[in-house]
Amino acid sequence: MLRAAMTAIEQHLRALLGERRVLTSPDALLAWECDGFTVHRSRPRAVVLPESTAEVQAVVARLHGAGVPFVPRGAGTCLSGGPTAKGDAVVIDLARMKKVLRIEPDDLYAVVQPGVVNVDLTAAVRHLGLHYAPDPSSQTVCTIGGNFAENSGGPHCFKYGMTQDHVLGAVVVLPDGTLARLGDAAGPRLPHGLDLTAVFCGSEGTFGIATEITVRLCRDQAAVRTLLAAFASMTAACRAVSDIVGAGLVPAALEILDQATIRAVEASVYRAGYPADAAAVLLVELDGPADVLAEEAAEVRACFATHGALQVEEASDAAERKRLWKGRKGAFGAMGRLNTDLYVLDGVVPRTRLEEALARIAAIGAKHGVVMTNVFHAGDGNLHPNISYDGRDAAMTARTIAAGHEILQLCVDLGGSISGEHGIGSEKLDHVGMMFDAADLDVMARVRAVWNPSGLCNPGKVLPSRHACAETAKWPHMIAKVLDAETER
Amino acid sequence: MRQARPRSAAELGELLRSRPGRLRLVGGGSRQDQLPPAGDAVHVHLDGLATIARLDAGDQTCSVDCGVRREVLDEALAAVGLELPCPGGGTLGGLFASDAIGAAAHGGLGPRSLLLGMDAMLADGTPFKSGARVVKSVAGFDVHKLFVGSQGRLFAALRLHLRLKPRPRAEQWFANADLTRDAALALVRALRSTPVSPAALQLLQHADGRCAVGGRIAGRAAFVAATVRTLGLVPSAPSWRDQLELPAGGESLTGLAVPSALPTLLAQLPRATTFLWHGGGRFEATVPDAAAGDLLLATLAGQQLHGCVRRGDAARRGRGTPPDPGHRRLVDGLHLALDPHGLLV
Repeated sequence: MLRAAMTAIEQHLRALLGERRVLTSPDALLAWECDGFTVHRSRPRAVVLPESTAEVQAVVARLHGAGVPFVPRGAGTCLSGGPTAKGDAVVIDLARMKKVLRIEPDDLYAVVQPGVVNVDLTAAVRHLGLHYAPDPSSQTVCTIGGNFAENSGGPHCFKYGMTQDHVLGAVVVLPDGTLARLGDAAGPRLPHGLDLTAVFCGSEGTFGIATEITVRLCRDQAAVRTLLAAFASMTAACRAVSDIVGAGLVPAALEILDQATIRAVEASVYRAGYPADAAAVLLVELDGPADVLAEEAAEVRACFATHGALQVEEASDAAERKRLWKGRKGAFGAMGRLNTDLYVLDGVVPRTRLEEALARIAAIGAKHGVVMTNVFHAGDGNLHPNISYDGRDAAMTARTIAAGHEILQLCVDLGGSISGEHGIGSEKLDHVGMMFDAADLDVMARVRAVWNPSGLCNPGKVLPSRHACAETAKWPHMIAKVLDAETER
Repeated sequence: MRQARPRSAAELGELLRSRPGRLRLVGGGSRQDQLPPAGDAVHVHLDGLATIARLDAGDQTCSVDCGVRREVLDEALAAVGLELPCPGGGTLGGLFASDAIGAAAHGGLGPRSLLLGMDAMLADGTPFKSGARVVKSVAGFDVHKLFVGSQGRLFAALRLHLRLKPRPRAEQWFANADLTRDAALALVRALRSTPVSPAALQLLQHADGRCAVGGRIAGRAAFVAATVRTLGLVPSAPSWRDQLELPAGGESLTGLAVPSALPTLLAQLPRATTFLWHGGGRFEATVPDAAAGDLLLATLAGQQLHGCVRRGDAARRGRGTPPDPGHRRLVDGLHLALDPHGLLV
């Protein structure tokens, strides 16, 4: 785009939002050049900071009218490059839209702006004995809008489900600046409509920008019990998980950390008192009525014993519970000690294949000579193999990426998925073909084109470009035309 | 009426690629009275695709053909201590395509949450897949979720990958009948105020104004017994109602209402309306005639609630409260994108 034209757009945006809410200087834009996936970096053309639905509409309409691509963004904690601007895109940062608009305790829902921080919503309803269930590890900083766009998970989604299970509706600014209302406080699908709320959730900012989100609230449980068991082998920990689930128990969380992760945590500020000589620790959280939990905790302990737990610890109060979780929640931060960069994978395997998957992942790591740690949502089979590497070392980076590729292929080969909660973004564009063939991607592209016909909203994410797709020759002509049009822009 | 009954996905693909004209997808056939008239469309019966392809008890997932009947799946799941925790009968494809009830209670799992992925086919015979077989996946767009409630008019689901749950250690159905409206609403409030929601909850207001509240308490035996005792629930046999009986000449409407909307709504129902509210937020109301149906739609619109005619006069099915224009545009666009020739009716 001609510089003069872009300058005119920037002036228009400044007239809309004021000088201080339109950032264009290279230094100011540095903070927006990547998200939590730091391999892909690209500085946006500009960053705008709207504060209302009307402002988002006005900004989007202007950018759409001028043919300028744009990228919605929450806190930027995404781990797959989803909110990273590509090319000359303008970032629409929603962090200033952080009002809890409505709380309905009797009907158990809240309406929030997208910039509300995940944990702040729970803080806002705690006095009512309520909470918002989805809890990504980044919940102290990540936003509900980002969670909605990514269909975020978290440790407690084994029992409570993903973000998609908790969003009832939304007001969405479509990529042409018009509005659509999805769902309703009483249910996410209108009686005479399709479930647009579900398909928007997880569309990674490519379908539009949610500016008001209606979410379900959950009642706090009467009691919580948190247990930690240490095992002499990862196999024993995984089998304990299988037994717990096989017994019909539905813990709120089932999390495993391997020895390398334990040691990294224990050497960091996230030290939680985990036994450093254990091959794996299993964190189990139960919630529900107190008398029920007594029975369930006894059953969990029996599963631990069956698999030879070396040590079992149970939190006796809120402070101890927080300590036991501190290591798990801080695990990714602790890995900063291992090297300068961290590649967090997010594959899923059937829970029954966990043991096999972990053994084969270790072999892949050894083959490529990379330092690998594992911390994962064992109940869901959602693995997070983490490769610590030095991004300045091209050879090490290449080995890291190669190992990641093999691990994701393994997950698919075992009947799983390349992503359980982080999304595709720009990170996994090369891996999408492992799960989906040309016909599958064609259908997805058609759906995206309904929401985002111009392709201006977060281009270059989720679906691989035609030229990168291994199945290029199979792509239907219609989709090829759409993608060519995108390329020309 | 032209009929076809493919026995496999390959046969269905062959049929669709032969361009037989407009198509009406039929599962068990029990929900055809919820659809607009099919005209000269070929009725494609999918009950021949009836294999439980995979039941992974350890992973608590399964893959079933669209023509598998609910009772067949339930029996297979019960044998391994699992269940599909959502109401509804008929074929699995029909259950998910109609999504008449949604979740059975607040926070419960409805079809949308249980559908992990699917193998599907466009109206032109192109096969595709969406989602995954595992309990958690965010890879690609969730096109399969669009099948839920689509009435089979976007694409055909051939095989559904489903999430399952362990059967509860204990359960007790209850039915508290002959209640005043206020007493019924108070009981619903009390049930929703417990930290552990009922596994299923329904409120029924008969045409004469009498009310009943029913549902299912599930969990550990001591918890179930304590809940029944504390709330004064009347134990009963399984009492879930999938839908109301349609009065002769009448029609059935479906809609959405949060609990706080119920007192006003119940007080404003047209005369002789029977009203059934499911704890997940969906309701059904049967009215004696179209005039009462229009009155109810106006009442819903006045309360900013959503609803539409589901059963009754075929020409009125789908008529509803005014849709949001943006929502309407997206729905129309999705139909056009996935079935550009409007073959699925």
